[in-house]
Order: sequence, then C-alpha cells, then structure tokens
Amino acid sequence: MLKIFTYLSSLIFCLSVFTVNAQNTKKLPDKIKTPLFNGITIQTDVASVVSSALSTGESYSYEAGAQIDLKHKFYPIVELGYAGANKTSNDNINFNTQGIFGRIGVDINLLTSKKDEKPTTNLFLAGVRLGMTRFLYNINNVTITDDYWGETQTFNYSNVSSTKIWYEIVAGVRVEVTKNIFMGWTIRSKNLLTQDVSGEVAPWFIPGFGTNNGSNWGFNYTIGYKLQIPFKAKQAVILKKSKKP
Amino acid sequence: MKKYVFIFSFLFVLLSMSCTVDEQCRTNKIVEMGIGFYHVVKNDSTKIVTTTSLSIDSLTIKGLKYDSIAQNYVYVDSNLFIKSKLTSKIYLPLHKFKVESKYEVTFNKTKDTITVLHENADQFLSLECGCIKIHTIDTVLTTNHFVDSIRIINHNVNTNNAENIHLFK
Repeated sequence: MLKIFTYLSSLIFCLSVFTVNAQNTKKLPDKIKTPLFNGITIQTDVASVVSSALSTGESYSYEAGAQIDLKHKFYPIVELGYAGANKTSNDNINFNTQGIFGRIGVDINLLTSKKDEKPTTNLFLAGVRLGMTRFLYNINNVTITDDYWGETQTFNYSNVSSTKIWYEIVAGVRVEVTKNIFMGWTIRSKNLLTQDVSGEVAPWFIPGFGTNNGSNWGFNYTIGYKLQIPFKAKQAVILKKSKKP
Repeated sequence: MKKYVFIFSFLFVLLSMSCTVDEQCRTNKIVEMGIGFYHVVKNDSTKIVTTTSLSIDSLTIKGLKYDSIAQNYVYVDSNLFIKSKLTSKIYLPLHKFKVESKYEVTFNKTKDTITVLHENADQFLSLECGCIKIHTIDTVLTTNHFVDSIRIINHNVNTNNAENIHLFK
C-alpha cells in the first residue's frame, strides 16, 4: 500500500509540475538579476482541518506557517500548530493530550528557469524539517487483573510530561492560483529522534507528529498569501523607467 | 485550469486511500515464573557431580493465599497445575499485587510448600495492550520433603518464558 502511494504521488507531482511550468514561462528580452529576498508567504494547512473533522475528535491538528523566498531557490520555513487526541482503546483505556508544536526547516525549489526567462511562480519543492513538541498527557483506566490469585487494580497516569523531537523529509508542489495566492501540497516522511524507554509509560499521540509509531507519513494541503516586499515594487518601477528610450 | 485539476485530483487520491488502524493487542502479556526440575548425580568413583533434568511422574500444584479472617493460609479456588505425565519444567504465576506467592506442590504423593518473595513493577506496553506486572524474585523458601534445594537462576520474571528457578531433588 505504501509503495503504491509513493509511486502514485511521485508520478502525479512530476507530471503536474512540468505541465504547470510549461504554461508559465515567458521570455523576457533582458537579463534580470534575482534579488535575495522576494517576499514572505503566510500559509495555513487545510488538510489537517479536514482530517480533524473526519476523525470526530479522536485526534485533531491545526497548523500554519511562514515561508521566506530567497532568490526563488531557497525557502526557509517556520511552522507552528496545535494538536491533540482523545482516544479510548477496546479495553476502555483512555488517552488524552493536547499541545503546541513547531517545525523549522528549508525547502529548495528544484525547478530551474533559464537566465532569459521570468522566474516561475510555480514550485516543485523538496526539503527537510526539524519538529519539536513538549506536552502533557493522561492515560486513564488502566486495569490489571490477576486471574489466578483473584484481584484487580485500576490506576491512572496523570499529567505525564513528554518532549519529542523528530525530522521530516518533505516533497511537494506549490502554484500561484491567482495574484499572490498560492495553493499546494506536501507529503512528509516523519521520523522520531527521541525514542521511548521500553516498559515506561508512553504517549499514543504526539502533537505535530501523529501516532507514536517511530515513523509516520504526513500530508499537508496549504493555502497561502505572499506578502510582496515594498522595495521590490520600487525596484520594478525603476527597472521599467530605465528601459524607456 | 490544469493547476486546479492536479491539486484537487491529488487530494482526492489521498483521501480515498485512508487506512484502517489495527487496534488488536498482539503482544504476549503472560508473565510466569519458570521452574525446572533437576537431579544431582555424584559418581563415587570419579567424584564428578553432574546435574541432569528430572521428570516428575505426577505433579499437582495449588496456590495458597493468606486469609486475614481465618488468620491462616487457605487454598486458592482452582488448581494451578495437574499433570500425570512426565514433567520436567513448569510455569507458575506470581501474585501481581502482593510480594509473597506460596504454592503447595505435590510430587507424586509427597507434598512441599514453596514460598517466593518478590517485588512487583508495572510495565506499560501500549494503549491497545495496557499494562502488565513484571517481578523480581528476591528469596525462595521451601520445605524439604521431596525437594532437596532450590537455586535462583534468573531473578527477573517477565514475558520471556525463561527458567527462573532450578529445583533439585
């Protein structure tokens, strides 16, 4: 299942990126030097909102991010979110938690435009993230039954503190659907760097990471707005004036 | 237009590939103390002592628990072990919430009482499997009607099915 998913997703975003890229490249007569700072995109993740609604409260996650455009090539990003879970097992053991999480990282645009072409606003991104969360969780109604000697005890683990760090390998696509409005998706391979001690109580869900499996797959579908920097607008006016005969 | 097609088609593919989570506990949760029966043979001519596995013809084991009202040990309602075939190894549950487990063991027709003093600790497995009790054996005491001596081989009682005690005739 995982392999099919990987093949499908790779195929779709390769095909789609090249289609989109072919539509948006316009030849410019003069060589334009790309400035270092090209704006900042504020984006929110819609996929987490949809999946939270579908999971009926068992787990939920909301996140947003800010990504800087450096030379249309490097895209440092900060992502912040809030997530939680309330899960009851078949044996009526209840787990609940909530907490904030953060990620920092960088994406690289793998699409290259020729020197005499206007840089494309559509991106095929690959990148990494380092995620971290510190949260409290409860595990309630844990029951141990002694079948032979005949005794039962029920106990709770309350306000257990946990800190988790993980890294993510990210790949995705982002397109400008209308002026300064961007939509796109990313798939992520998440891997925990901090492991639980065997036998000790451990969380079922980690905010920002998902279920505590050691590694997870994630999907984000983002909508964002790109804030253009004021001096870039001035630069465009100067460039226009200088081209007049 | 193609932009929207690829973005929404991918979203559709991803949502349609939702997976079900297996919530069954498949971890072994049985924690029992392993006891092996051994016989010490001493060769008088060579003076070499060898330990060989001992098979018991008939074995019955009952748990004994302390009755605070009667102020005496009474049998637990059910037998732990009854076997009339040759037996050289048995596994017994220790008390999960008390630090003493007492058993009456009948070897063929001879009875001995074995008392195990131990510590108990919680081991969390997962949300699906919950928690188990593991034990650390501290001391083992026995009467000597059939049993000659007892040796603790492995103090840790967990799900590994290890032999913890060697019981010598």
